[in-house]
This record gives sequence, C-alpha cells and structure tokens, in this order.
Amino acid sequence: MGHNVYLPKPAKILEIKEEVGGVRPIKTFRTSFVDGAAFSYRCGQCAMLSVFGKGEVMISISSSPLDKDYLQFSILKTGRVTTALHEMEAGDIIGIRGPYGNGFPLEEWKGKQILFAGGGIGLAPLWGLVHMTLGQREDYGPLTLVYGARTSQDIVFRGELDDLKKKMTVHLSVDVAESGWNEFVGFVAQNVLDKKPSPQNSIAITCGPPIMIKTVIKALKDLNFEDGQIYTTVENKMKCGIGKCGRCNIGRHYVCKDGPVYSWAELKKLPQEY
Amino acid sequence: MDKILAKKDYSRWLEKLGSYRIFAPRKRDDVWNYEMVTAPDAERLEDVMTAVPAKGIVFPQREPFFEFAETDDGTRITEILPEGEPVVVFGVRPCEGRAVTLTDDVFGGEFEDHYYWKRRNATTLVGLSCGAPPSPNCFCLSVGGSPHSKEGLDLLLTDLGKTYYAEALTKKGEKLVLEGQKLFTAPGPEDRKAVDKIQAASRKKIRRELSRIENVPAKLRGMFDSPFWDDESMSCIRCGICTYLCPTCHCFDMADEVETSTPLLGKRVRTWDTCQFPDFTMHSSGHNPRPDKASRLRQRINHKFQYFVEVWQKYQCTGCGRCISLCPVGIDIIQVVEKVRDHGA
Repeated sequence: MGHNVYLPKPAKILEIKEEVGGVRPIKTFRTSFVDGAAFSYRCGQCAMLSVFGKGEVMISISSSPLDKDYLQFSILKTGRVTTALHEMEAGDIIGIRGPYGNGFPLEEWKGKQILFAGGGIGLAPLWGLVHMTLGQREDYGPLTLVYGARTSQDIVFRGELDDLKKKMTVHLSVDVAESGWNEFVGFVAQNVLDKKPSPQNSIAITCGPPIMIKTVIKALKDLNFEDGQIYTTVENKMKCGIGKCGRCNIGRHYVCKDGPVYSWAELKKLPQEY
Repeated sequence: MDKILAKKDYSRWLEKLGSYRIFAPRKRDDVWNYEMVTAPDAERLEDVMTAVPAKGIVFPQREPFFEFAETDDGTRITEILPEGEPVVVFGVRPCEGRAVTLTDDVFGGEFEDHYYWKRRNATTLVGLSCGAPPSPNCFCLSVGGSPHSKEGLDLLLTDLGKTYYAEALTKKGEKLVLEGQKLFTAPGPEDRKAVDKIQAASRKKIRRELSRIENVPAKLRGMFDSPFWDDESMSCIRCGICTYLCPTCHCFDMADEVETSTPLLGKRVRTWDTCQFPDFTMHSSGHNPRPDKASRLRQRINHKFQYFVEVWQKYQCTGCGRCISLCPVGIDIIQVVEKVRDHGA
C-alpha cells in the first residue's frame, strides 16, 4: 500500500496577513511543511487543512505553483475550523494533506486572452492562477481581472492589487457607492457587462458566491461567450477530499475529486444542486 | 473446490479456526446481528437477515484514524491502522457479498483507503445461500443478484438438510476448508443435483420484485426537479436507518475527539454518516444544496439507481430489503423506484 491518504503532514504557519477585518474577516496564511518537503500542485487545486482538535477544512491554494517557498491560503472566518485558524499565530502548527481536485486546464488556454471575474473571497482560488499566467506571460494573450467586494474594506489582496495594475488590466468594484471610491459601483456581473470583454479567442473564469457566479455566467453569455469558454470553481461541504465520504457530489461528480473546476459546458449538464 | 460438511461437524470446524476471529449471526433482544462467537457455542449456522449488515466488520461504524498530540518536540501524529487480524464471517447473505464488491470499488481506486483494505484483506466471507428468502422484502433477483450469488464471497455454503455443500470460491475460502480438511468429504453427483434443485426452488420463493428498471437511470435524469420527491419524502422522519443499515452505503464523517486540551491530545475518528441528515451537506455559511427531505430522498435514490450506475455501470443496491423492513414510516424503495419507472408513462 502507498501512503495513508487520511494522514495530514505537519506544516508551520510562516506568516499571517490580515486582509479584511470586521464581521467577515479574511486572513492570508503562508505555510511550509515542518519536514521541508515540497508540495506539487496545479492551479485551482485545493488542500485539506487540519487544526488538530477542531477538524479539517478544504481550502483552495491561493499561491501559484511558481511560488516554491510556501503554500498560501486565504481564508474567510466562517465555521469551526476557519475560526480556529483565525485564532492561530505565526509559528503554530497545522496539518495539510492533498492536493485535491482537477485544477484549471491551463495547457488548453495557451495563446488565449483571459478574463478573471472574482467576488469577495472568490479571488483566492483565482489568485494563484493570476500569478501563474503573469509568471508565464508570453504563453497567454491579454489578461484582465474584474474584481468586486461589498465595500472597499472587504477587498482582499488590496496592496497587491495596486501592483497588479502595472502588469495587467484590473477593474475593481464595490456593491454600493462610498466616498473616495472612484472605480465602478455595482455588482461584478454589471462591471463585466460595462467593460464588454471580447469573447474572441478568450477564456473567462469566475469565482465567488453562488449568486455572483450565476449572474456573471449570464453576463458572459450576453456578451456571446460560448459555454466552453466559461469556467468556474464549485465548493461544497467536504470531509474526505478523495471521493469517498459522499457529501460533496453534484450528480455523479464528487467536487473534491472530479472538480472543483468546471467549464459551464460541463456544469450545466449536471444537476443544479450546489 | 466443492466439498461436503456434515452439520454435526460444523462446530468442530469452527474449533479448528482458532487463528481467526469468528463472526456469525446471533440473536439478542429479538434482533439478529453478526457477533463475535467462540467455537463451542456455535451449534449451527442461522439462516437469517441480520439488522446491521456485515459491512460493519470491514467498515466499522467508528474508526480512529490517528492520534494527535502536542509534545515538547512539536505536534506528533501517530497513525492507528487496524492490525488486520484474520476474521471469518459466517452466514453472510449473497446480497451482502455482492454489496462488499461495491464498497471495494468505493474504497479502492486512486486513493486507496488503508483502513478498509487492512480489514477487508484479512476477512474471509462465508456465504450461506438462501433456501428461502430471509426477509419478506428480499428482491435480489431484480437488481442482478440471486439467493445463491457467489460475488464477493470466499466460500458458499448451501444447506442440504443434514450437510452443507461447501463451494470454495477463492484462495481464502480454500484455506478455510483446509483448516478443517478431515471434516470435509467429496460430494457425490446427487449432492450437486440437490444444490441445483434448492437453488432453482429458492428463486421462486422471493416475494418481491422490482422489474423493468433498465430505463430508471435515464428516467431519474429527467425527474430531478419533479414534485414527485416532495410527495415520496413526506413521511420521512430523517432517522437515517435506510442508509446506516444499507450494506452498500458508505458515507462517513470525520471528526476530532479531544481527550485533553492542554496539552492537546486526541484522535481523528471516522464514523458512519448519512445523506438523510440536513447537516450532511450544509455549508458553514448556512447554504445547503440539499435543504429538504425531498432533495435528500432524491439523493439516496439517484445515488443508487443513477449516479453509481453512471460511474460503475451497476446499481448500488443488492436487494436485501433492510431499508424497507426497518424504515419506521414505511418508505419502500421498490415502490419509489417503480413509480420513477412508470413516471409520465
């Protein structure tokens, strides 16, 4: 038998960055394995994080495979395990197993222009992808990020987004007008319609809350994107991460193993139960 | 390898199996279940349908995965693998043998489940072919099985009155016969004829049928949004019996059990879980993709008769009838699937 698939490996939290405060706080954790082992993964894959004594949670990896020194996770405080993670400090030990899931089909996207459309914490699964495509810039066409949050205080990777604007097109939005905000006001889907990205030789990837994903897909369809040009990532409650515990399925697919990345052409054929 | 064992020698055979832990159906408080037995008290093999299926012997209801401990040297994780002691289960119904082949599929593959396989590889399943259906709700014939199916079993015994006809089906089964080889004799032609006669007769004794289900997977695909599921699930009290006692259901939870918090010491533990509980799929945000009884009954039926078929090309049901007999409100999988079959016809 190979290695035990349920055993997490101890990893140290190297650094914690507070992204968003308030009642829906988000923190970014950089980690590395205690034994110094490497962790090979693809953009879009997830890892199962353990807080021993609390349990496990499946989190998308927000670093890119080009970042060799750490694994990064950006986490919204919402349940038992994520609350415990938010209470941890640099130097603390967590457990990590994975990587899990299919990841983005980056090979198929080479030579295409790419639109990233994210909302709230939904920028985390896209973040590694943004950095991967930037790191292999010559392989892709123009890159555009459309990202929105409820308020300017809810925007993740705020400082890094400013840097990103020097390297690619970035359109930000907040849901409602606020003083000092001089970019788009409205939902991400409205911002996508406003910016009218061309479907020509394009791929669009959207990630965020379920309602945002649905409205962005509709906006992209209105802009004549084909189903196969639109990608999203799905999340569901997970325990095992390897297609056995039975709870994250959408039809015959286990999101942990067969997802989380789907083209709309694939996802629309599955039962709409997610 | 076919052999004959006199029934009076059954308990002597068990005495020869001292290197195994032996399970067989036992009655306690009027309920039959597989229990560990010692050779001297096992007089004969009981021809019954236990409440809890044999799956619990290879896939226990509660199973520690590892221990975690905070020590001066950091966090220590200690794997707790089962020892894999040899186990024999006697009296396994053919439908349960088939069910084990389905859990083998689930726990195998790319991510092999060491806990399951450590037990599974050390377990010998001795089936007892059904002379008469052990439950009024047996319907194995309708889902590709039979009262004398050999799938998943290592040895199949058929009750010939004063003797058992023993068919060793695997190396593990042969080993079991060899452990007591002096007790076994070669069968005569009349013995095989008797087995064939019993098997032909037993097929006719099955009282329930779920016929013409070839189109059910396609039918289910088209019924996802039907109000049918509201009607069928109305009486469900979400107790989960249908899934806990199903020999093919494999869903589980994983949780941390803390023994002491300073310093931290505890175990990560797997327990059976069920798609019939609301929090099975509930996100920490409160969003629930399967928020009502209708969507959860639909998941149970769809998993068994559509999704599993799409992945593995077989039904995830072997017709044991436990979910029918033991449902406290009388939800009957045969009737539900028949209605699906006839829906819109």
